[in-house]
Amino acid sequence: MKIVVTVKLVPDPNAEKRIDSSTKRLVRSGVETVLNPYDEYALEAALQLKDKLGGETTVSVLSMVPESGKETVRKALAMGADQAFMLSDAAFEGTDVWGTAHALAAAIKKIGFDLVICGSLSDDGASGAVPGAIAEHLGVPGLTNVRHIESVEGSLKVQCETDSGYQVVSGPLPALVSVTMAVGEPRYPSLKGIMGAKKKPITLMPLAELGVSQSFGAAGAKMELLEIAAPPVRGKGQVIKPEDGAQGAKAIFDFLKERKLV
Amino acid sequence: MQNVIVFVEQKAGQTRKVTFELATEARKVADALGGKAHAIVLGAGAPALAEQLQKYPLDAIHVSDDADVDAFLIDPQIDYLEALAKSVGPSLVLMPHTMHGRDVASRIAARLESGVAADVTAFKFEGAKVQCVAPKLGGAAITTCVFKNTEYGIVTVRPNAFAAQAGGGSAQIDQLSKPAGKTYAMKIEALIEEASAEMGLEEAPVIVSGGRGLGGPEPFTTLLRPLADALGGAVGATRAAADAGWVPYSMQIGQTGKTVSPQLYIAAGISGAIQHKVGMRTAGTIIAINKDEGVPIAEFSDLFVVGDAFQVVPELTKLVCAAKSAHA
Repeated sequence: MKIVVTVKLVPDPNAEKRIDSSTKRLVRSGVETVLNPYDEYALEAALQLKDKLGGETTVSVLSMVPESGKETVRKALAMGADQAFMLSDAAFEGTDVWGTAHALAAAIKKIGFDLVICGSLSDDGASGAVPGAIAEHLGVPGLTNVRHIESVEGSLKVQCETDSGYQVVSGPLPALVSVTMAVGEPRYPSLKGIMGAKKKPITLMPLAELGVSQSFGAAGAKMELLEIAAPPVRGKGQVIKPEDGAQGAKAIFDFLKERKLV
Repeated sequence: MQNVIVFVEQKAGQTRKVTFELATEARKVADALGGKAHAIVLGAGAPALAEQLQKYPLDAIHVSDDADVDAFLIDPQIDYLEALAKSVGPSLVLMPHTMHGRDVASRIAARLESGVAADVTAFKFEGAKVQCVAPKLGGAAITTCVFKNTEYGIVTVRPNAFAAQAGGGSAQIDQLSKPAGKTYAMKIEALIEEASAEMGLEEAPVIVSGGRGLGGPEPFTTLLRPLADALGGAVGATRAAADAGWVPYSMQIGQTGKTVSPQLYIAAGISGAIQHKVGMRTAGTIIAINKDEGVPIAEFSDLFVVGDAFQVVPELTKLVCAAKSAHA
């Protein structure tokens, strides 16, 4: 089985993000670039399938990322993926969701796949719109927010999270799934994995190799950012140290009354 | 684009408050753009819900209770929505920024080759062009975007961002015909409700939330639930609580969970690490109860009570219940 996992590089999610008020851009200094945490779960789900199925199963990771992101992509290989493909081209700079989905879908077709696994969201963009759009462009079913892959042999059976629970969905392959973190904690690269990753192939795929006609980058984008501003600052409020629970409750209740919240 | 289409998320005729928020806002957007306001309701129970929507200021409500909508994953819904969008012409398509709404947005955007504005909390207009305002990077930035190179614009709207106001409704109900030549393969075999009593967290006006400090699953039902019920709200949790298996992931608020903006957020035994903060920092009022004064949430709470949630919350529940019965 050929599995393709899409990964994105994002600013470290554990760092507090700040907008520079003069440049109106995200302050990136001191913020490390890491694999999108959601995509690590996608990779984990793929590696679990590889562990289970063995044999001919291959896991390829695919990322739209400048060449400078190579070492971060290599972490996915250290975790256990077999090979990586990087859509690295200056023409992709400023590409939006629409262009990203088209480019990734074209690359996935080139790589070949039975199953595509994506993270449900990216930590920085968080529109969650890319996996479904890739499925559309590939012309295969897209099963999103998957919390458990029950089986992939013969046909696909998964549990998809909903806002109030989950649904069990089944159907034929090929297909695309996006997974939630319920699929299992991503494994740490072993020392052997880290050493082995140095020898695994990372293939650069420039735009010209994709055979697509769309225009990418900011010029091809369907959305234009007019303004980016810092939100109103949320300062420290009142702090109280009540003698007991009743006094604390009374203080909260009075505060709620004052704000007309009860 | 000048028209507006509201995609209504519903199951068996049950919907969420955000549907009515969208139905209300659609009128304002359509008027500003100089077009008509449409809504589409699909699946079992759609006709009954369409009748409820007639109270809202829409121009047309398009309905189908085709059994395929509930039998198969998402694709039938996208086919109906695509057919309607093409018959209505260039339009802004609105849906809630929920799990399902995001799925519909991604699929229809690819079909219509259009852009997606996600998690929108306000619209602005420049002439007859719409601008979408949305928080990004976990609320660290507020962005304003426009659509370009596109006939359609897809917008997922944050629940609780707009007011719902019935009135001025005169919409006719239109029966949609089934899109031709489509077959579906992804069967929904079972639908399991894990938190059926839980109102949609994203649209709850009040959320009472708990974290690791609660020590186990029971306090979510015995301690937080009564307070949430008294305040007319829902119960939420941190990732630590969901990871520990104390609550389902559908109750998780934060980076890898839900983003909420209730009027009131009460955090019990939550430290307020950045991963949780990004999911709730846009709440109207934040009140935190924690034994430890040094936790991060102390820095962005409107009221921080240094104390034991197990002592404070039951007393607060009593006060709220007493005030309610005095009013009744």
